[in-house]
Amino acid sequence: MSNRKKTDDAPGNDTTLPVQNSRRNFLKGLSIAAAACSASLATGCLPTTARAAESGEQFALQWQEYFKKHYRLMTQKEKDETVARLERQAKLQSGLDLQISTQAPRENVLYGYAFNITRCEGFMECVAACIKENNLDRKAKTQYIRVFEMEPGQLDPGTGDGKYFHEVPVDNKFYMAVQCFHCEKAPCIKACPTKATWREPDGIVVVDYDWCIGCRYCQAACPYFGRRFNWAKPSIPKEEINRKQHYLGNRIRPMGKMEKCTFCIQRTREGKLPACVEACPTGSRVFGNLLDPESEIRFVLKNKKVFRMKEDLGTDPKFWYFID
Amino acid sequence: MKSTTPRQGLMAFVQDVIIWNTTGGFGLQVYRGLLVLGMATGIFAYSFQARFGLSVTGMNDIVSWGFYISNFTFLVGVAAAAVMLILPAYIFHDPDFHRVVIIGEGVAVGALVMCLSFIMVDLGGPLQAWHLIPGIGQFNFPSSILAWDVLVLNGYLLLNGLVPLYILYNHYQGRKADEKKYRPFVFLSIFWAFSIHMVTAFLYQGLPARPFWNNPLMGPRFLASAFAAGPALITLALAIIHHITDYKIDQKIFKKLRLIIVVSAIINLIMLFSEIFKEFYFPTHHSVSATYLFFGLHGHTSLVPWIWTSISVNIVSTLVLAFNPGKDNPKVLLPASGFLFVAIWMEKGIGLIVPGLIPSPLGEVVDYLPTWVELCVTLGIFSLGLTVVTWLIRAALIIEDRYEKLLS
Amino acid sequence: MKKTICLPPLTMPEKMVRTLLFFFIIGWSLLHPHVSAASEGSVLDRIGIATAPYDNSAVDSVQPITEETVAAKERNQGGTFKILARKKNIERYPCSSCHNGKPVAARDGEALTHGSVSIDHGREGSSLSCIDCHHRDDKDFLEDKKGQKIDFDHSYLLCGQCHFRQKRDWLGGAHGKRVTYWAGARVVYNCTTCHNPHAPRFAKRFPATYSPPSE
Repeated sequence: MSNRKKTDDAPGNDTTLPVQNSRRNFLKGLSIAAAACSASLATGCLPTTARAAESGEQFALQWQEYFKKHYRLMTQKEKDETVARLERQAKLQSGLDLQISTQAPRENVLYGYAFNITRCEGFMECVAACIKENNLDRKAKTQYIRVFEMEPGQLDPGTGDGKYFHEVPVDNKFYMAVQCFHCEKAPCIKACPTKATWREPDGIVVVDYDWCIGCRYCQAACPYFGRRFNWAKPSIPKEEINRKQHYLGNRIRPMGKMEKCTFCIQRTREGKLPACVEACPTGSRVFGNLLDPESEIRFVLKNKKVFRMKEDLGTDPKFWYFID
Repeated sequence: MKSTTPRQGLMAFVQDVIIWNTTGGFGLQVYRGLLVLGMATGIFAYSFQARFGLSVTGMNDIVSWGFYISNFTFLVGVAAAAVMLILPAYIFHDPDFHRVVIIGEGVAVGALVMCLSFIMVDLGGPLQAWHLIPGIGQFNFPSSILAWDVLVLNGYLLLNGLVPLYILYNHYQGRKADEKKYRPFVFLSIFWAFSIHMVTAFLYQGLPARPFWNNPLMGPRFLASAFAAGPALITLALAIIHHITDYKIDQKIFKKLRLIIVVSAIINLIMLFSEIFKEFYFPTHHSVSATYLFFGLHGHTSLVPWIWTSISVNIVSTLVLAFNPGKDNPKVLLPASGFLFVAIWMEKGIGLIVPGLIPSPLGEVVDYLPTWVELCVTLGIFSLGLTVVTWLIRAALIIEDRYEKLLS
Repeated sequence: MKKTICLPPLTMPEKMVRTLLFFFIIGWSLLHPHVSAASEGSVLDRIGIATAPYDNSAVDSVQPITEETVAAKERNQGGTFKILARKKNIERYPCSSCHNGKPVAARDGEALTHGSVSIDHGREGSSLSCIDCHHRDDKDFLEDKKGQKIDFDHSYLLCGQCHFRQKRDWLGGAHGKRVTYWAGARVVYNCTTCHNPHAPRFAKRFPATYSPPSE
């Protein structure tokens, strides 16, 4: 361990980041034990000598990752460096070539979503696509989207059936999907004690997975069941991993951190539709730029009778339900 | 009890405290051994959690807070209840309470250590906890009530640790503690005691997502239940000290504590009745959690026996303490205090936290049962807290005993 | 109970009140900016003042669609747009390669008479027939109720005669969907990308996955 420290502090070492400031340096010096501890906990066991020698670079990466800043405080250079480390880590650990983007929000864009409860027939293609696109934990069966089979006469998903598995659509029932609504006044953001979750300028509520401490206060604060926790290390078959990732989006979450729907930030910031919209076979899902009067989402808001779930809570969601 | 001659210097003080807390009779050593065993069990269980994540607990995305946060919530109350000794002792200069206030403060420190430990073991990323430290991390203050809670809990720990430490250190050296110096902090700590419990209540009360918690009575009820459960625990602690040490506790203190407990417990029951009335007189969809708690929902009834046991025991022990059938017989009052403590623990721990999360905001119902990991980690934290309390009280009593002899 | 409680010194309650007031003011001043921030404009207010169209070329990462597209003959709120082409997906198009008046051998009859097509379109008991949509004489085209020829790529002109509400929604974007991108030039699915014109209802089937509650 002390050898490692010498290497990292040695000038001219390629893997070493330039020291940001004295506070950082001080922290580094102080917290060697903590870093070692983090490494051992992250790898799941105490490093043996053989393993330590083999994974010396990994340890350095982990160590630097441990002391990195909050995403919003990083300069573009620091973002590039952490992405480089994350990609290198993935290469070393599982031989994967990831492309992690830090694409910033676009000007004059505010994402909004509409869901047609007349059209949806409950095929759950959206759920399947979301799982694949966002690298969701297959073992824990994490799903961002929940689809409810509803009896006519009621609009509260609480009265619907969220565990149906039979031929759909069933006559005289309708289907309603629920996911993160990216509230403008999100209770989860207000609740987070470390500012690890926030609303981006384009309206997407994101989580800095590396800054989250896993207290789950946001989960208690969300009135829509929009957040999911990594109770264990996510497990995804290697060949099914989506390699096009975003730092705030579908990169594989560490254990013990919060995650949520990001409107597929890795797609939408490149101009694409979220995976759920692209997968929907019935066209029930409408996505677009709320600030563009010519967009589809604005057409829906203008021409359809829309409603938002639990509007009485004042969360101001950017997700509307509508009826044909 | 051991009594040494006064020595000077901080090192000597620390040394003596350590010596007092490692030596002692056979019974004391067995007790210490059991505590160490408890802590070891906790560490062993936690090692599973560190490796496999919180998946080894009974929690899930619906019941995302469980046994840990339940105990945390309850223990904040125990910590806050020390104010019930501090207030009469320092403000009203009650000489009886002055003699036991140090024990109350010891219990408060122990409870706070347990609170903070429960928060730490509940975190998914305990190694990232430094992100909370203002200056180094990002502290979402004043927006996040959890940030407030971190602040008030640590502040209260400091206040309740430093003031007694200052007094004891002076007494250790055979000096009188300068009241002018610590008095402002005592006043601060009185205010602070209310604030830790109100802030912890606001943690839940401020969530419109959870109608069961989003209730303005939460804060006052937290205080009432805390001022019943805390003094009940302190009564038990004083009774134990009275029986096994030379530090004799006046009967008057027990009577005054009983009064505090009875008044608080009755206020608590009135508020409980008020809540139950609101939930069930005209049930709305906001009453679903209460229905789940008291009567069960969609065949899920795991908390029904739990809450009814708690309420029955609560009522019976309150009545016993109020009407005092044994004419101040400790064999009646002490078990009643103990039962009241347990009843409030049941109701304000699991009985408050778990149903707040059930059903999920989308109406789904799952039952929650803590796993062996949670139980063992909790045992470990309780052992840790008891160890802290024992250390503090043993040192305090030896110093105070010696100081009293020195004065007389 | 014997009274042992002494009267507090006069300054004490004052001090307490002062301390409480102090913290109250501190707390309120900390909360206040937040409370006022919470009452700032809602998302609908922001939408209301956004009247300038978004620059379609602003997102540089948008790639051209790989599928073949044609320009729609109608306009939506944003002007002209494109739709996915249909004709190249019709297996035996052009139809006139068979429907040309020449005799055919009887052994190929089943394949050549569209035996696989069963019409489930229209109200029960008064189902549509082939010539309700297909041109009676020129089989390379569809035909609307006014007798005008309609290109297979522009079937919305035909479908929209009855399904005018769906057509209006489709033009605006509330029915159907865009291809891959929300940004860039608008390309949408045509009617037949999703609907089988001979049986436009979606068939019943099992969901793609199962959605269990957390356990």
